[in-house]
Amino acid sequence: MEVTYAISGFESGSRRVTKPDEVDGVLSREQMIRKLNQAGGAAGVDAPLRALCDYVGGSHYLLARYDLLQEKGLDFIVTGNWPFDLVRRVGTVLADGYSRSTEIERCLALLQPQFEDLPDECRPPAGVSRRFCSLFFSVGRARFALLLLFPEELILSQERLREAALLAAYATSFVEERQRKSDRDFELTDRELECLFWIAEGKTSDEIALILGISRNTINNYITSVMRKTATKTRSEAIAYAVRNNLV
Amino acid sequence: MTHPLDTPKQASAGVGSSQPRKASSRSDLFPQLIAMQKRLKASNFAIFRVVGSGPPSRRKLVCELENLGADAPQICERFLNAYSVTLIEHIDSSLLPLIWSGSSAGSFVEAPEFSALLVRLAPGAVPLAGIAFPVRLGATGNGFVIFMAEELDLASDDIIQHHVESCRLMTDLLSMDERRTPHAEALSEREIACLQLAGDGRISEEIAGKLGLSVHTVNAYLGSAAIKLNSVNRIQAIAKAIRLGYIH
Repeated sequence: MEVTYAISGFESGSRRVTKPDEVDGVLSREQMIRKLNQAGGAAGVDAPLRALCDYVGGSHYLLARYDLLQEKGLDFIVTGNWPFDLVRRVGTVLADGYSRSTEIERCLALLQPQFEDLPDECRPPAGVSRRFCSLFFSVGRARFALLLLFPEELILSQERLREAALLAAYATSFVEERQRKSDRDFELTDRELECLFWIAEGKTSDEIALILGISRNTINNYITSVMRKTATKTRSEAIAYAVRNNLV
Repeated sequence: MTHPLDTPKQASAGVGSSQPRKASSRSDLFPQLIAMQKRLKASNFAIFRVVGSGPPSRRKLVCELENLGADAPQICERFLNAYSVTLIEHIDSSLLPLIWSGSSAGSFVEAPEFSALLVRLAPGAVPLAGIAFPVRLGATGNGFVIFMAEELDLASDDIIQHHVESCRLMTDLLSMDERRTPHAEALSEREIACLQLAGDGRISEEIAGKLGLSVHTVNAYLGSAAIKLNSVNRIQAIAKAIRLGYIH
């Protein structure tokens, strides 16, 4: 079983396709859980996701930060073994879907497998279907998309896909928990966050001064300091920044 | 044409994300929860949701559905006094299930194959042992589905299946709430454009220049957007518009 993981993703994908009747590359749920349980937090995200991809019979996996797609660059990729040219294009497809959906729709998409075709100009690896599956889940403030490619003609179990997404969330939970301490709230102080929260609720400086029992000038100082730390020019932008980053 | 290990409920990989059983009212969730409770050999269930936004101290857990019997208010209170702070912090960083032992003699909770994937809470705060499945949807609707019993011996299969089902229950609950709240008048394209630019740090004069409007018109659009979003000023309107997915 270990051999499957030693082989790099690209090969393991095409290899399985050439031998479609090879079942021992696919993990049972029990084996899967034993693996996750043994590894605990030590394994990081990559190894568990490889195993999960095998568990659902997929050929390639890609874990992306769905909430970071708007930003430039490839920071949205957490881990994966999709061919690079596909990653770039699917990033555009995902960003598009993200901007067209409302927050409620995103909330309701939790663990719901969604199928879409790769853009026409993409060439998936030989024997791999154009149709990819996206699964969404949130861990803390971060929203993730798990994208899977499958060998052609493979029939998928929706239940299994949901389980895989949940287990991916478990694996990500370990990592998130460790990271949280390091980049906590962009180093804004509790008071600054408190001010931001009330501004987002539509309160004026005078009102916040009453609520928090400190002077109006102090409030304005906090807000100026927030704008400096977040590199924003106006109150509106600072609030937009705070909401986008789930600080309030 | 079958998956090597599964007999899938839904045929081809191309089928979209149709949900299996869609509950239409809260009373439909009850039998589903009872069925889950039976399978876990538990005696009670409860669904708690996180309400409020901002730092953990501003949020709290509210019981939405339960079958705790006549003592429900007391049990909920004891449960929340003991665990709500931990649970709210937990759901900000992790999706791993939580377990606890009860205070009555002989109460225990076991899940040998799953131990590393569970978080153990301080024992003895409530009479019964239990397991809480955190469900994180996104900006709203987050919470916990909880099962309790004198003793709980949990197989890993059960944990995963129930966690997946818990996620579905919470999305059902959210979509029911959504259908009940009347939707505010939709924002116009111009209003959205003005909100977006304001959120990007532009002042009214700049927005006016960019959109070829007068400053007064821009302010009027921002004002009408604030009214439609039930906000007191443009800053609150921007915060709400981002949360609702009108702007980014």
